[in-house]
Amino acid sequence: MHDVILFEQVNFRYPDEDKWILNDFSFSVQKGSKLVLTGPSGCGKTTLLYLCNRLYPDNCDGVLTGNIKLFGKECSSFIPGEINHRIATVFQDPDAQFCMQTVEEELAFTLENLHVKREEMDKRITEVLALTNLSEFRYSIIQQLSGGQKQQIATACALIMEPEVLLLDEPIAHLDPYTAKKYVQWLNLLQKKRQMTIVAIEHRLDLWGDFFDRNISLNKSDIAFPIPQRLTSMQLDTSFEVTKVETKTFLKPTSFSLQRGEIAILAGPNGSGKSTLLKALCQLIPNSGVVEPAFLGYVPQSPEFLFLTKAVQDEVTYGGGYDVDNLMDRLKLVEIAGSHPFSISHGQKRRVAIAAMLCDGREVILMDEPTSGQDAAALYELFQLIDERARAGTTFLIVTHDMEFAYRLADSILLMEGGSLTGKFPAADVWENEQLLLDHHLLPPKGLMRHEKSFA
Amino acid sequence: MRSLLHRMNPSVKFLLITVCMFTMAFFFDPWTPLIFCVGVLLLQVLFSQVDWKKWTLFMIPFFITAFGYFWTTLVFAKESSGPIIWSIGSVGVTEIQLDHALSLSFRVLAFSSLSMLFALTTNPVTFILSLMQQLKLSPKIAYGILVGFQFLPVIKDEFIQIQQAQRLRGMFQKKNALQRLLASRLVLIPLLAGAVRKAERSAFAMEARGFTGEPRSSFFRVITVGKVDALLVALFLFVLVLSCTNTFWLS
Amino acid sequence: MLKSWKLKEIVLMSLFAVVFGIVYLLFLHIGNIWAGFVGPIAYEWIFGIWFIVSIICMYIIRKPGAAVISETIAATIEVVLGNAVGPRLILSGVIQGLGAEAVFAATRYKRFDLWVLMLAGVGSSVFSFAYGYLLGGFTVFSTGYVALMLGIRILSGALLAGVGGKAVADGLLATGSLRGYAISRPKKGDVRA
Ligand SMILES: Nc1ncnc2c1ncn2[C@@H]1O[C@H](COP(=O)(O)OP(=O)(O)OP(=O)(O)O)[C@@H](O)[C@H]1O
Ligand SMILES: Nc1ncnc2c1ncn2[C@@H]1O[C@H](COP(=O)(O)OP(=O)(O)OP(=O)(O)O)[C@@H](O)[C@H]1O
Ligand SMILES: [Mg+2]
Ligand SMILES: [Mg+2]
Repeated sequence: MHDVILFEQVNFRYPDEDKWILNDFSFSVQKGSKLVLTGPSGCGKTTLLYLCNRLYPDNCDGVLTGNIKLFGKECSSFIPGEINHRIATVFQDPDAQFCMQTVEEELAFTLENLHVKREEMDKRITEVLALTNLSEFRYSIIQQLSGGQKQQIATACALIMEPEVLLLDEPIAHLDPYTAKKYVQWLNLLQKKRQMTIVAIEHRLDLWGDFFDRNISLNKSDIAFPIPQRLTSMQLDTSFEVTKVETKTFLKPTSFSLQRGEIAILAGPNGSGKSTLLKALCQLIPNSGVVEPAFLGYVPQSPEFLFLTKAVQDEVTYGGGYDVDNLMDRLKLVEIAGSHPFSISHGQKRRVAIAAMLCDGREVILMDEPTSGQDAAALYELFQLIDERARAGTTFLIVTHDMEFAYRLADSILLMEGGSLTGKFPAADVWENEQLLLDHHLLPPKGLMRHEKSFA
Repeated sequence: MRSLLHRMNPSVKFLLITVCMFTMAFFFDPWTPLIFCVGVLLLQVLFSQVDWKKWTLFMIPFFITAFGYFWTTLVFAKESSGPIIWSIGSVGVTEIQLDHALSLSFRVLAFSSLSMLFALTTNPVTFILSLMQQLKLSPKIAYGILVGFQFLPVIKDEFIQIQQAQRLRGMFQKKNALQRLLASRLVLIPLLAGAVRKAERSAFAMEARGFTGEPRSSFFRVITVGKVDALLVALFLFVLVLSCTNTFWLS
Repeated sequence: MLKSWKLKEIVLMSLFAVVFGIVYLLFLHIGNIWAGFVGPIAYEWIFGIWFIVSIICMYIIRKPGAAVISETIAATIEVVLGNAVGPRLILSGVIQGLGAEAVFAATRYKRFDLWVLMLAGVGSSVFSFAYGYLLGGFTVFSTGYVALMLGIRILSGALLAGVGGKAVADGLLATGSLRGYAISRPKKGDVRA
């Protein structure tokens, strides 16, 4: 067995930065192995992946020293594109990794690049869609799919290349727990069948079971941060009232209300309309209905379009801002305070948006998947911050696929399915009700099971 | 029959229309563009399923432009010799002037009806694919354009979202229409910054899928040139020749 | 020529073309309506806006062809959007782009200060005017009127496209999102610049 990827004393930094992202870094990946890279957000995992598929350093003019060998050959000796036929990548951001309009065209584009014969294309497209359970999306317009659906399409696009190595950048961060579990299962089957080498980046390993045979941590100081069970801070008066909110195409009439200091989790399958609901509540998409109060805090699923200023620090203080220094410190934003909000890592962007909203002193805050792409330490801080604010009387509505986090945090759960709200439930009732969970593609949290065992 | 123009090869259509337009540019009598314009409309009625409501809506500005051309040519014409056949107030109009004025206005109409024919019967994606397959446009550029095109609706949405996000962040809102138009300038920079990021990521995604910009050996969607194209080219050229030779058969 | 281009630069041009394609179309409608009242000279005031993408892209990417290609793509996108000027606009795009490109080529793609950008706007104005003179039938107008039109168009090209384009690109540069493109290199005294 030879090494398909080999890094020897690699140093890498971005052209305008003084800090080396990778420092004297060495690692190797054997053929057929399943490897996971972990490490705190912003430590350079994505950057490392880009070095493996040769997108960097050419595309960013970064400074690279040391030795990178792919398939036993010096990596610069491959002709352009050659490597990408053998190493396929699924990127972290679901929104911008496609170039064609429909799913079918996107898959065909990949096949054309591989110089596959026209007669074969149709068969291969049908096959890969069947394999990934995505046949119903064949003629869908990609930009109209939900975040999780896009991420699955991206995997199909990578698999249709029949690559030797598959690079995955947090592939299940946007998937609902049930789909995520399925995803891991068929990835496992596929790997067995094709002897693919898999290199993945992942923060949360619990859904993966024993899939990986090796774990490389980019930063040694991985301490566990157990999130405690929260006590409710719900007050008696209503602070957020939604009446008959509805959009023309997808969202059915939705009404609910939240009490002051309540933390509600909004959950449901991929594409059930969670992001659509939040956007409608903030008036980002046209809708009918009444939302009271109208002035809300909002952290979008792709936070970038919120950014208005040139530095992280300014971004956080933009809306007036109290308690800025404390928040910046706790969300690990101090060292990037001067960076431009667009040029930081995914997890960092999300934390900047969260910090900006928490600083504004808004009564009601909506968050769309704040947990995705966060490491354990950040998750812990996030939990603490939300808890403190809820105690001070802020109301939260949070979309997340992370059931552990939801279990620790939630007062109540709002469930969605196919564009309509199934209902609002007290959190404790939901975790017990397996049928309800399964109907909404959720899995009972591990915390609950451990809890039950200890009482048995 | 009614779908012929829609099925026509976009590159052939494109070249054909360009040839027609250049030919028109050499005629300064009112009849040539007028007859041609009528001919084009006739072809469009016969061989396409155009939404005429939309057509009229798009044409309105061009009627206005045609009118603008008409009166400016009367007032600012170069040649003003010859007998005055018409006078508006103190401005006298000669026959040559009137001919030129009518000619330019009809030319505007002829050009815009040709353009509308192209725009309303051509699928943009097919057009780009055809440019690549028939006119040997570099795939690097062709797919670059397709990516851009794919982001068109996204950019429209984003324009609204950035405005709303700015409101959400507490940037205060302008009331009247002019102020709002000026404020949309503030949206341009974030919009372009978003475009830069999208460009970079899409390019990465394309490269990661093995795209190098080399010519491809086979296409999933093949755009062909066939009998339909030959027929339509013949018809168009017939109309063109007919209108250009009007002096011989009209008088 | 395309060999030295990175894919991300081409996609960038294309996306800018989309954004400005929409802006162009907006201005076209404004121009059309205005032209009904003041005649074809109405377009001359705003003509510069239609060159802006070539100047912005060249200023950012700084490679031979950036002006022509971006302007052509913008025109193509505009046509594809359902513009009633139609396929002929693509040709106008090529010619306008060539006008700007000629100026940049004359500086051997070395200088990108305000004066050169304004001159590029003027280049586009002159080229597009020559083309319009032929196809728009300006020959029938009196010489004085034509000269006035040209004068206004040159002014518009220099100000709207040259000064305006630089302002937009500089604004964008300040957001830091243009890292990795030629425009952000000279500042740091980079050897590649
Ligand atoms: N294009 C760029 N230019 C300059 N600095 C960058 C660029 N992209 C990333 N960085 C910086 O490099 C560091 C590593 O970024 P990277 O995206 O690799 O992190 P990551 O480990 O994938 O984080 P996450 O888990 O949040 O996605 C970050 O601190 C980020 O600020
Ligand atoms: N721009 C759009 N145009 C048309 N349909 C859309 C658009 N965006 C999303 N949809 C559709 O609306 C539905 C709900 O999407 P939404 O993004 O709200 O899902 P979600 O619950 O947030 O899913 P996820 O957990 O995957 O993020 C999806 O079926 C999607 O196909
Ligand atoms: Mg990352
Ligand atoms: Mg969502």
